[in-house]
Amino acid sequence: MVGRASGAESAHGTALSRVHAVMGTIVSFDVRVGEAEPSSVLVALSRACARLDRADALFSTWKPNSPMSLLRSDVMPAAKAPAEIGEVLELCAVARDLSGGLFDPWRMPGGIDPTGLVKGWAADRVLAELRAVGVSGAMVSAGGDLATCGGPGPGLAWRIGVRDPWAADKVACVVESPGAVATSGVYERGEHVIDPRTGRPQAGCVSATVTGPELWLADALATGLLVGGTDSLELIEAIEGYEGYVISRTGAVAATGSFPTGR
Amino acid sequence: MRRAPIVLAATAAGLAGVLGFHTEQQGSGLLSGLAGTGTTPTTAPKTGSTTTTSPSTGATGTTPPLASASTSTTTTTPSGTRSAVGADVQYRYGELELKVTVTGGRITAVTPVIDTAFDARSYQINSMAEPQLDSQAVQAQSANINGVSGATFTSQAYVQSLQAALDKLGIK
Repeated sequence: MVGRASGAESAHGTALSRVHAVMGTIVSFDVRVGEAEPSSVLVALSRACARLDRADALFSTWKPNSPMSLLRSDVMPAAKAPAEIGEVLELCAVARDLSGGLFDPWRMPGGIDPTGLVKGWAADRVLAELRAVGVSGAMVSAGGDLATCGGPGPGLAWRIGVRDPWAADKVACVVESPGAVATSGVYERGEHVIDPRTGRPQAGCVSATVTGPELWLADALATGLLVGGTDSLELIEAIEGYEGYVISRTGAVAATGSFPTGR
Repeated sequence: MRRAPIVLAATAAGLAGVLGFHTEQQGSGLLSGLAGTGTTPTTAPKTGSTTTTSPSTGATGTTPPLASASTSTTTTTPSGTRSAVGADVQYRYGELELKVTVTGGRITAVTPVIDTAFDARSYQINSMAEPQLDSQAVQAQSANINGVSGATFTSQAYVQSLQAALDKLGIK
């Protein structure tokens, strides 16, 4: 895909956007340059895309020769896997424990599958690239899971609409991003979300959103919350800094106490 | 090879039903709450905005669906109303194109331009009762947003089309 960034002058200075096709989805960037050196922001964007490509090459379970695939098929021992894989699997274990097993890459049909966390982890890392060059705000959307820093303008928060599961041109609610907003829904995957406790397709609701400071965990927890449904909001509530929002099959909405709903 | 178009046609139906587009909703999604914010909901002729429709990709089944999200077009007019139309996005069960209209930095309309659902299954899905989110949640859709959460697989192409349009418009 063409990776050229496009720019626009906004009320709050220069904004850059870029769209990158990777990991079977689209990653889009909205960067508010602020006082940063524009050329260094462009370099950081290019580096960010290269980083995403590398994450895809490492973790793809679709590419038969990716290190992740070799690990899954026991062709490569874990000790020989690239360092990033070890790092991600450690995070997977943390997310598994925090989710009470509702997110468990080790209990997926077909072998270990960290896919539910990798996208968020990769977005966190590329956001760090942008933060490091001093941008005033950046939003990275990895296929609808978002990592943000700063804001779109002075004193403004990134406002993220959570998709209405029944109408893609509507949003069910708006959240002010605390750093990460991840949503999983059965409208996208049918009933094929796997409950790791049974190994069978099972969703406890139609849409689950988790917000928090980091996307790797929000992403994994949203996957778990989709499986667990409203009853699992207590699990999310117990994790400091993270909040959850669930839309049930009947359209009923439930959320943790401090879910950052915007106006 | 001869079977390929058939497969594409068969898979290009259904999600449009799941997505629940109904004609009475067109233009009323993000638009609806804005009347209360003091921003006048606008249509193209009233504000002089120009809608640029992206060139049709014709046989969209041959176009990589994700790549097409980057080809949205944007038009700016002196009146400050801008609209962008995402390229045709083909996804597993349907095909549609989005028009996003921005006035004074706010989204005033997100309208599906194309909405096709053409097999029995999709109509079946379409006919299912659509649960209603509570009124507070529906109200929130009027808000000015920078991004959309909730997408992978089939709907990602759609949402990213909206996301790409948002990016191009530089919603502030």
